[in-house]
Amino acid sequence: MLLLSVAVIFVCLILLSMPIVFSLGLAGVAGLWLGGYPMQQLPSALVSGSQSWVLLAIPAFVFAGGLMERCGMSHALVELARALVGWVKGGLGMSVIVVAYFFSDICGSKMAEVSALGSSLMPPLTKAGYKREESASMIAAGTAMGMLVPPAIFMIVIAQVTNTSAVTLFLAGFVPAFVMMICLMVLIYLRARKYDWPVDAKPSLKRVGKAGMEAAVPLVVPVVILGGFFFGIITATEAGAVVAAYAFLAAKIYYRNVSWPQMGQIAYESAILTAAVVFLLAVASIFQYLMGMQGVPKLLGEVLAPLKGHPWLFLFVTAFISMLFGMILEGLPAAVVLIPVVFPIAEEMGIDPIHFNIVQTAAVGIGLFLPPMGVGLLMALKFANVSVSQHFPTYVPYICALVVGLSLIICIPEISLTLPRLAGLIK
Amino acid sequence: MSVIERIPRFVVTALIALAIINLLIGVFLRYVVGGFTNYMDWDPVSFTWVEEVGEMALAWLTFIGAAIGIRSRSHFTLYVFTPRFSPSVQRAIEVFNHLLIAGFGLLAAWHAITLCQLNWSLKTPGLEVSLALLYASAVVGGVLIAIYAFSMIVSPAHRDPNALH
Repeated sequence: MLLLSVAVIFVCLILLSMPIVFSLGLAGVAGLWLGGYPMQQLPSALVSGSQSWVLLAIPAFVFAGGLMERCGMSHALVELARALVGWVKGGLGMSVIVVAYFFSDICGSKMAEVSALGSSLMPPLTKAGYKREESASMIAAGTAMGMLVPPAIFMIVIAQVTNTSAVTLFLAGFVPAFVMMICLMVLIYLRARKYDWPVDAKPSLKRVGKAGMEAAVPLVVPVVILGGFFFGIITATEAGAVVAAYAFLAAKIYYRNVSWPQMGQIAYESAILTAAVVFLLAVASIFQYLMGMQGVPKLLGEVLAPLKGHPWLFLFVTAFISMLFGMILEGLPAAVVLIPVVFPIAEEMGIDPIHFNIVQTAAVGIGLFLPPMGVGLLMALKFANVSVSQHFPTYVPYICALVVGLSLIICIPEISLTLPRLAGLIK
Repeated sequence: MSVIERIPRFVVTALIALAIINLLIGVFLRYVVGGFTNYMDWDPVSFTWVEEVGEMALAWLTFIGAAIGIRSRSHFTLYVFTPRFSPSVQRAIEVFNHLLIAGFGLLAAWHAITLCQLNWSLKTPGLEVSLALLYASAVVGGVLIAIYAFSMIVSPAHRDPNALH
């Protein structure tokens, strides 16, 4: 009863265009008050929710990503991807997906990624004769896939709320993202053959080498992350610090195109983004307290009991809900509201925590790019200057490819678990 | 931009710089200095304070940044139904929302004061500063949230018509 009133307040406030974080906070306050719980839980949950060593990786990665984007590292990656696959049938389209994979590695924020990819890829795609709807679909689907490529803020947050290791989750993301990338590339190849898309001229070895040299600076980052985590040398937070320092040195010594005031502006923007993310987590911890006191996980466990014998069905159902949450509420609110509730059930059913988190990450990533209101998709469409309804028919196959990728990740846990197992992080 | 608005802006920028530099010092102490003292068989240099500085900086950064975010509209918001209302109704809803937000901030600040008092004599293990310094972030943050919310009632910040949310 108490939680029902809390949920009603939450939904009403959201519909009144109250920022989600404050809708959550006010509903939480109402819950504390109605349930007769001590109001001191409010500041104490806020402080303990925002004070965390792992979360310190967020400002570091966000700042590093902002800085690397400003330096123009995305252009170097675009050049390399075009040189590598641009000459294959549908190659320019495939290169969008490849760039999204690598770019997610240096960029912590989805919105920043869509705008960087949109601004640097839209002109060459249009010039090569790709329809705007098609280009927007590739950028949207590629970035949705990139959700799984570390270092994603979402992964740090989901690791925090489920109390799993961020490093393991990061390491687990590489292969599932690769599987999704293959699904998208197969689709693009088939479409390229069907619609006879143009190809780039085959590049000379010299051009590939030059593009490789230029992209070497940004590509150090995934190497540091993958290597550092695989060999267990650094923690997620330390990796953030190292990548931030690297970005700083690259900007000041190698590229030399970011002034001090610009640096300050990037730091300020990163601070505000970090604050919004961590504050959301902090506010949501009031909810977690309430749900714990009211025995929600047990209740949900009983409701979902029929699914118990079928872990994969449970994963499909929760992934579907995560996708809807991701579309409506944006990714992070989905993570802090939904995941803490369903995670204990998944654990009880014997689903590997890392596998579960990877599935939810992928689902939320797709949700962000689902029509009609996924924010990531809206952003991509803004760059392409097409409306949701104009774009929809072209986009359907891409959504299908993403869902096929997600289904593979759900049905084959080894896709997510092999790399962390090899690194000895899980059994 | 007024001077008063510049102060929190400067503070969060300084805090994020502090947080990242502090992390780097931590990496340096753990791998370089730690490796060296280990090799020389000297007493290890303590770096528990690094964790405390980082977490403290993040807590302060979060609350001050969250308050600034009210005015810069960086908190995610759904605009599904409200844009269909007349401008005066929309304005009334906005005033109502920000009154609630201000109330939330003041409530958090008020109860955080009690937490500060309770933790006044407790010291952190590394830095040996009072734990009240940590809980004070919620007091200052709560008050700032109320101030920024009131500022939105008095003179609302313009919403970018092209904004996605």
